[in-house]
Amino acid sequence: MIELPFVLLITAILGAILAGFACSTMGVFVVRMNLSSIGYLMSHAAFAGAAFGLVISIDPTIGALFFSFVTALALGPLAEKARLQSNIMIGFLFSFMMALAFIFLSFVPGQIASGKALRILWGSIFSVTYDDILLLSLLSIILTLFIIVFYKELISVMFHKKLAEASGVNTKLFYFAVLFLTGFAVSLSLRIVGGLLVFALIINPTSTAYQFFYDFKKIMVFSPTIGIISCLVGFYLSLVTNFPIGASIVIISALFFAVAIVISPKRKKGNGGRKNLVQKSSVEPVR
Amino acid sequence: MNKNGNIIELKNIETMYEGEHLPVIYGIDLTIKYGEFVSIIGPNGAGKTTLLETINGLLPYSGGKGLVFGKEIPKSKSEIRKEIGYVIQNFEIDPLSPFVCKDIVMSGRTGKIGTFRFASKKDWDKVWYGMSLVGMIDFADRPIGKLSGGEFQKILLARALAQQPRLLLLDEPFSNLDLSSRVQIETLLNRIHERHKITIILVSHELKFVPMHCSRVIVMNKGKIVMDGKKENILKSDILSTIFNGNGRKK
Repeated sequence: MIELPFVLLITAILGAILAGFACSTMGVFVVRMNLSSIGYLMSHAAFAGAAFGLVISIDPTIGALFFSFVTALALGPLAEKARLQSNIMIGFLFSFMMALAFIFLSFVPGQIASGKALRILWGSIFSVTYDDILLLSLLSIILTLFIIVFYKELISVMFHKKLAEASGVNTKLFYFAVLFLTGFAVSLSLRIVGGLLVFALIINPTSTAYQFFYDFKKIMVFSPTIGIISCLVGFYLSLVTNFPIGASIVIISALFFAVAIVISPKRKKGNGGRKNLVQKSSVEPVR
Repeated sequence: MNKNGNIIELKNIETMYEGEHLPVIYGIDLTIKYGEFVSIIGPNGAGKTTLLETINGLLPYSGGKGLVFGKEIPKSKSEIRKEIGYVIQNFEIDPLSPFVCKDIVMSGRTGKIGTFRFASKKDWDKVWYGMSLVGMIDFADRPIGKLSGGEFQKILLARALAQQPRLLLLDEPFSNLDLSSRVQIETLLNRIHERHKITIILVSHELKFVPMHCSRVIVMNKGKIVMDGKKENILKSDILSTIFNGNGRKK
């Protein structure tokens, strides 16, 4: 087992918990909106930003954050303007960011510099700084408040955009806000689990929660819980086995998902399954 | 409501879809008084849904002038929509949709409750009331994706009723219902109309779906209103058989 200084251990654990929370909270919306590829997009936007940072000789992390921020902000309005599904726009922006990254890297001589940009894609929990923790904590608070305060609007928009609009909800605003916060959660989590693996942290915990519940509220509670547990167990596995941290987290969250598929009450037939579908109503009909 | 008692006033309205050159509906002059129960009928593609969505501002009109509750639709659409219950033409529901019925019915009140406000006990009472009106109170905790087409249609109606609307727009509300459910919903609509004096506009592509208590029928064809009058007079008209080619006529 790897021996770590106490402060580094606490910072890393906190980072894992916060990344697990942020990604798997927004994962509920990502899965519902069928936008799983947003993980790829944000990681490559960050990659392009890091490369850009190297070109203009600033900290690659600042470049990565800036590019992620702008991409997350532009995604919703661009899809709306082009009258295309967000998933198509994600595909377009993904290839565009890749192209930008390669162009920027061509201006940076030497493999060491390019490696710095590539590190953004892989991430390392031991490179988590105090500022990362602060930003992720702030983001987690914003996400929690956003969901609590706008829960009824989010349910409405996630169920059916047109019906939500017809009942007086500003659907565009909430749709863009969800896309933006998802993009931002991904970009801040990049340094911890890495861009290529952050994607799994968005999808796996939510998919696991989906195996057990039909109620959006319960999925909203259980997805981040599973996300945090995956991160912590994955972290421990990494310390014990010396596996890469990102890979360990993904393995654990994938295992949870596999177990959930097997024991999911949604697939049970007969009384057991029906019990989960037909709930007793505690409310007397209003006459 | 407007000073002259009109809930809807459309003057020479024309609605065109983005990127199209021809309007879907045009020359629409329509006045509906507060408390009327109107059926809009016409064959598929006549522009009935477009007209409904022009009224609640989901589709912006490209010509003319439209007032709902005395307010211009484009300027006050979010305000207007809070008072309009809308039952959308039946859409495919994802069987794995992660929502339970009571939350969907509550979502109808979202605009009315307002931003930065939480649903109160009074709001939930409206939800239970709406669900009990359509006979779906026992389905409160059922997943929405597990309902049959008819049950789902009733939940959408409960959603619109929970909103406590002044105007109810129903787009093909009977399309998925069996005979007994249709009679039940029709009776319910008649009762709501009588008791609460809600203005109801119901769209249907079949003449047999015109409710008994509906006093006025508007016939649309190829984007225009071709007939507008009392139900008895309209249903007797020979023009209908030309429009519908004899299909759907009430026997």
